[in-house]
Amino acid sequence: MTRAVSTTLLLLFGFAVVLPLLWVLMSSVKSGHLIVSSPWAPPDLSNLAVENFSNAWSKAGIGRAFVNSLIATGATLVFLMPISAMAAYVLAKYEFRGSKAILATFLGGMMFPHFLVIVPLFFLLRDLSLLDTMTGLVVVYVAYSLSFTVFVLTGFFQVLPNELGEAAMMDGCGHARTFWRVMLPLARPGLLVVAIFDAIGLWNEYGLALVLLPSAENRTLPLGIANLTMTQQYQSDWGALFAGLVIVMAPVLFVYWIFREKIHETMLAGALKG
Amino acid sequence: MRDRSRGAFIGAFLAPALGVYAFFVIYPFLQAVLFSTYRWRGLSQNKQFVGIENFRNLFSDPVFWQAVKNNLWLLFVAGAIAIAISVGVATGARGKSLLSRSLRGVYLFPQVISLVVVAILWYFVFSPEIGLLNGGLRAIGLDSLAKPWLGQPSTALAAVGIAFVWYVSGFYVMLFAAGIQSIPSEVFEAAELDGAHGFRRFRTVIWPMLWSVKRVAVVYMVINVMNVFALVLLMTRGGPDRKTEVMLTYLYEQAFTNSQFGYATSLAVANFVIIMALSLGILFYFRRSPMEARR
Repeated sequence: MTRAVSTTLLLLFGFAVVLPLLWVLMSSVKSGHLIVSSPWAPPDLSNLAVENFSNAWSKAGIGRAFVNSLIATGATLVFLMPISAMAAYVLAKYEFRGSKAILATFLGGMMFPHFLVIVPLFFLLRDLSLLDTMTGLVVVYVAYSLSFTVFVLTGFFQVLPNELGEAAMMDGCGHARTFWRVMLPLARPGLLVVAIFDAIGLWNEYGLALVLLPSAENRTLPLGIANLTMTQQYQSDWGALFAGLVIVMAPVLFVYWIFREKIHETMLAGALKG
Repeated sequence: MRDRSRGAFIGAFLAPALGVYAFFVIYPFLQAVLFSTYRWRGLSQNKQFVGIENFRNLFSDPVFWQAVKNNLWLLFVAGAIAIAISVGVATGARGKSLLSRSLRGVYLFPQVISLVVVAILWYFVFSPEIGLLNGGLRAIGLDSLAKPWLGQPSTALAAVGIAFVWYVSGFYVMLFAAGIQSIPSEVFEAAELDGAHGFRRFRTVIWPMLWSVKRVAVVYMVINVMNVFALVLLMTRGGPDRKTEVMLTYLYEQAFTNSQFGYATSLAVANFVIIMALSLGILFYFRRSPMEARR
């Protein structure tokens, strides 16, 4: 009895999660006409509307937004990972006055919605002439990813054995050389997971980009697809819109699928310790 | 000499991260408090100190209270439903059956795709023309039940709530699954021997032992709910008639549509105070483990 109830519950939940996503996938290869006239119908397999994807990519500007998102995510990681790893290493392996307070300050950034500071941030970037520039967005992304990244990396460095670092120091390596040559390579698996985790969040980010990148040519994917929804209501190319949704989702779902075990661990570590 | 190089090393390694963080996170955060005391339309020469006037206006602004009410509805109704579903699914998916294994592969999907996609997807589920829901109702002959779900005041917030539950549940399934996994298997066996099965075992054994996970889950739910922005902006823009307005969409409107930057920032400060108050309340409520209390 209990078993039947729990099986039904799990099945319902599974369908609820997967069906809407399958519907998007299905609609992305249906003609605009078919999407409107019969939303539940499967696509016409003999005549898949694959042109939806090329329409989304070139005509609807999703291709350009895709490249912008790649740049924003990639550039953020390039700056974020080294400076986070450096700070996390020092916070994990060196005892000094104020280290607890600094870690707590980084942690504090995880406790409030970043959108709350959007007004001061908007004017700060305006005063630095970084508003509506990719540089500005990347700097902001680095800053607002630090909390989580430093926090999780500190945990990784804490569990690395001290002996290896000490041995390197004995052999005459300085503090910095010990870090770059010995400790950082040891932490590589941790760095990779955190980077993937950050990448997914950055790829999906909407609120900050909405305010900080007002003009069309800089749009990242979430902005591009949101904008497409609004203009599509006049042009009614629903097929291209659904293809666009697939283009936004596919990379993260793919990356998630490959690293899902590690991502679970990291999310849990972040949630339960924080 | 040795000590000095150590100190310099610590400083040099902390400086880049701390510098960026201080300038782009802490500084705007402190500025927000200051901005909330200004009447300011974005041109620096017109910045005028008005003390607590923004907050006084805020407290007599019916839209603000409507937004607070909607945020609290999302927390206490949608959030509670999400947690109830998650606990049920996490308990049910404990085994190694094919079903629970496949479920573990997919339940985080909504969490890893962009909220923008979630919002657009659910917008189309509820949309009157090409909507999945209305299409389904018509297909089974229930045409009379087809409605503009997002366009009518009586159903709009519930529709947004469903999208919210869909989006967040996976995270809480993961949280509670980890919590249940950390319960030693002897506890389950002992409960079994004492004749506690099914729901009874859940209520008397599993649920109390999830105490620390529950606390984390509720704090996260508060942050999640107070962070709702893209979902509402893209599904309803806060309408119809402000029925789905939340604090962050109202903040966005006041700042970037009406150029009321001081007023918008006072909204941000109020939002932050509410988060702190709710979080502290939760930590106080869960301050002692029920296990200890029984001793």
